[in-house]
Amino acid sequence: MAELNDITNEFVRQEIDEFIERPEERERVIRLFSRARSEMQAIAAALIDGDNEAVDKLTQAALAAGITAIEIMDDGLIGGMGVVGIKFRQNFIFVPEVLACARAMKAGMAHIEPILSAAGVQKIGTVIMGTVKGDLHDIGKNLCIMMLRGAGFEVIDLGVDTSADRFIEAVEEHQAPIVGMSALLTTTMPNMGKTIEAFIDADLRDQVKIMVGGAPVTQEFADDMGADGYGKDALACVALAKQLIGAAA
Amino acid sequence: MDPKEYKERMDRLYDILSGIAAHAGEQSKFRCPYKNRHDQCTANFGCRNKRKPRKEGEPPACASDDKLNYRGAWENQ
Repeated sequence: MAELNDITNEFVRQEIDEFIERPEERERVIRLFSRARSEMQAIAAALIDGDNEAVDKLTQAALAAGITAIEIMDDGLIGGMGVVGIKFRQNFIFVPEVLACARAMKAGMAHIEPILSAAGVQKIGTVIMGTVKGDLHDIGKNLCIMMLRGAGFEVIDLGVDTSADRFIEAVEEHQAPIVGMSALLTTTMPNMGKTIEAFIDADLRDQVKIMVGGAPVTQEFADDMGADGYGKDALACVALAKQLIGAAA
Repeated sequence: MDPKEYKERMDRLYDILSGIAAHAGEQSKFRCPYKNRHDQCTANFGCRNKRKPRKEGEPPACASDDKLNYRGAWENQ
């Protein structure tokens, strides 16, 4: 049976020792990392630490050294994200830390994606995401983006305080079939409707499916403003995007 | 890379992320999602729970007690 000391990376060893309490999870994670190469342990450590620059460099170096993309995903990126999920569930870390780890995951996956493209694996579709004009809240949007990327979507993140023009420019630039808008304030919710009207004015409304979400948003509000769908949380956002991409295809 | 092998990995990753998203929803009922593990505020907007950083160069401290509705402290502009 593999033991904690079989893991060479000190940071990974400490993380498991300190944060993974359930015996079956501990055993599974120790088994994974004890057989993983030191390079993979280093990728996992950087990801758990939310260090996207280190994940970027280490993934690039691992591929250059001839390590397969599958091994990097199994033993580095997904292995590390598994530890992040356990730490979050146990309330050792919180949403800001998880989002930093998701950014690190994206940095690693950026090097894997060209290999996928070469193998004929395509993204499900492109989604333009942004918080509407006047609104600076981004956590809900960022969780949706994390989930959409995990589900295989290409996501263009326009950030916060996004004007209707910026949404339209992004759809045209990336030929995106879906737009996702988020608002957290009742005062900024009407800007979702204004953005939809801007798509109509630009003669682009038929080319794009628009989904909306955010704490004060409801299905009724989404219907009234003419959105194509409403997602109450990040999981619903992915289900909706998949449904809409089917409708858009 | 075999597309089927890749899909298996993405399904496993999605399972992990789904657990994270579900827990984030539960956690947001009592703890501000902008508050990090060091009880610092990561929000780029005003909040009445923001306090001066404990050390220079750190993010602002968060004074929320995780009991009262934290959203009432968020400033709209």
